Amino acid sequence: MRNLFNFLLKYFSVLFFLILEIISFSLIISSQSYQRAHFFSSSNTVVASIYQTGNSVVEFFKLKTSNENLSEENTQLKNEIIALKRQLSAFEMQKSDSSELRLAPETAYRYISAKVINCSTSKMQNYITLNKGMRDGVRKNMGVISEEGAVGIVIDVSDKFSVVIPIINTKLLISSKFKRNNYSGTLTWSGVNSRFASLNDIARHVEFSKGDTLITSGFTPSFPENIPIGFVDDFHIDPSDSYYTIKISLAVDFKTLAHVKIIDYSNFDEQTTLEKSVQN
Amino acid sequence: MLQKILQNILLFVALVLIQVLVLNNIQFLGFVNPYIYILFLLSQPVKQPRMLTLTLAFMLGITIDIFSSTLGIHAFATVFVAFIRSGVIKLFFSIDEGFNPSPSFFSLGVGVYIRYVSVIVVIHHILLFTLEAFSFANFGFVLLKALLSAIITILLILGTQSFNKK
Repeated sequence: MRNLFNFLLKYFSVLFFLILEIISFSLIISSQSYQRAHFFSSSNTVVASIYQTGNSVVEFFKLKTSNENLSEENTQLKNEIIALKRQLSAFEMQKSDSSELRLAPETAYRYISAKVINCSTSKMQNYITLNKGMRDGVRKNMGVISEEGAVGIVIDVSDKFSVVIPIINTKLLISSKFKRNNYSGTLTWSGVNSRFASLNDIARHVEFSKGDTLITSGFTPSFPENIPIGFVDDFHIDPSDSYYTIKISLAVDFKTLAHVKIIDYSNFDEQTTLEKSVQN
Repeated sequence: MLQKILQNILLFVALVLIQVLVLNNIQFLGFVNPYIYILFLLSQPVKQPRMLTLTLAFMLGITIDIFSSTLGIHAFATVFVAFIRSGVIKLFFSIDEGFNPSPSFFSLGVGVYIRYVSVIVVIHHILLFTLEAFSFANFGFVLLKALLSAIITILLILGTQSFNKK
């Protein structure tokens, strides 16, 4: 009897092992597609608040670079304001009645500024946690940018925190185009180096050169047009290929990322429902 | 007994915090990321009931997973090494009847302990990095990453053990 009991115990531990492995593996499979809800992710309140405490120490060391970036952006914005004021006064002189002026619908967005409280760069599937959530107006699928350029897309939101899937995650594909000729392609990240990504669907006839700027295409409602993504670092094409292999050096250095802006596009729902109704 | 449990809980929390707050931010050479939390599993008593070891391993793995938004990956790898652990110990060391040591330099001997840690950590890391990539494209690079990270993890674990005077 005792032997039987021992045998069952031994057998049960193997069964238990298999059950645990199957649970883990199905969790891995279900989190393979990034659109799926992440129930247990770093937007979880307990996890995020631990990260926030840890980050308050680290942030001190990033202050200098982020200050420099901010002041640079500040000057740029001030210049823009001056230019815009000049244009506005010119228009006001032309037209006394401004009621006919209407904003193009795709430009109706505002920014929510947020702080990065956790960011990995060394993995294949990197994620970023931000300290803004639903109560600050953050929703799924919003684009995230920093002063340097595009960062990623919000995939999960809790009340106070949100998780972003950055460009340096092998699951995210970003629609991009060349600034100089509007030719668009899909940017992918191979998982090797956090400074570089690749662009593999640019046809042979397209003209471009090293140093060309790659910007967001504006075809996805998450990002407005004209946000820098990166620069052409190197490219080559085999005689038999019809597409270039292009190495893009990313505009954002994810290792020093500290402050970001979340793009709140007010016509998001209207645009996506309209697009979906056509597809179905 | 109670002291043992408290000690284990403390070790668990300390290792998880060190892992997610410090080590996950260290990127030596840009991609080497040591996973020292496995030390918790490595230092469980040799003859601990298997079900308990497996449960602890799953809890440890899933905790790390929640913190790094990689659901299931750490849990899978950690449960796997928890399962093969007693086999690996038996490979290098014969345990006397009625004797149930927690593996360390002193209970197993330096040579055996280093071999035991190395085998477990290397298997754990290779499994972990392969699952993280979830494809065999770039497998050479994944393997290189896994092995370099494993070396750092082994050195860190042996470093903490040399402080442990008992």
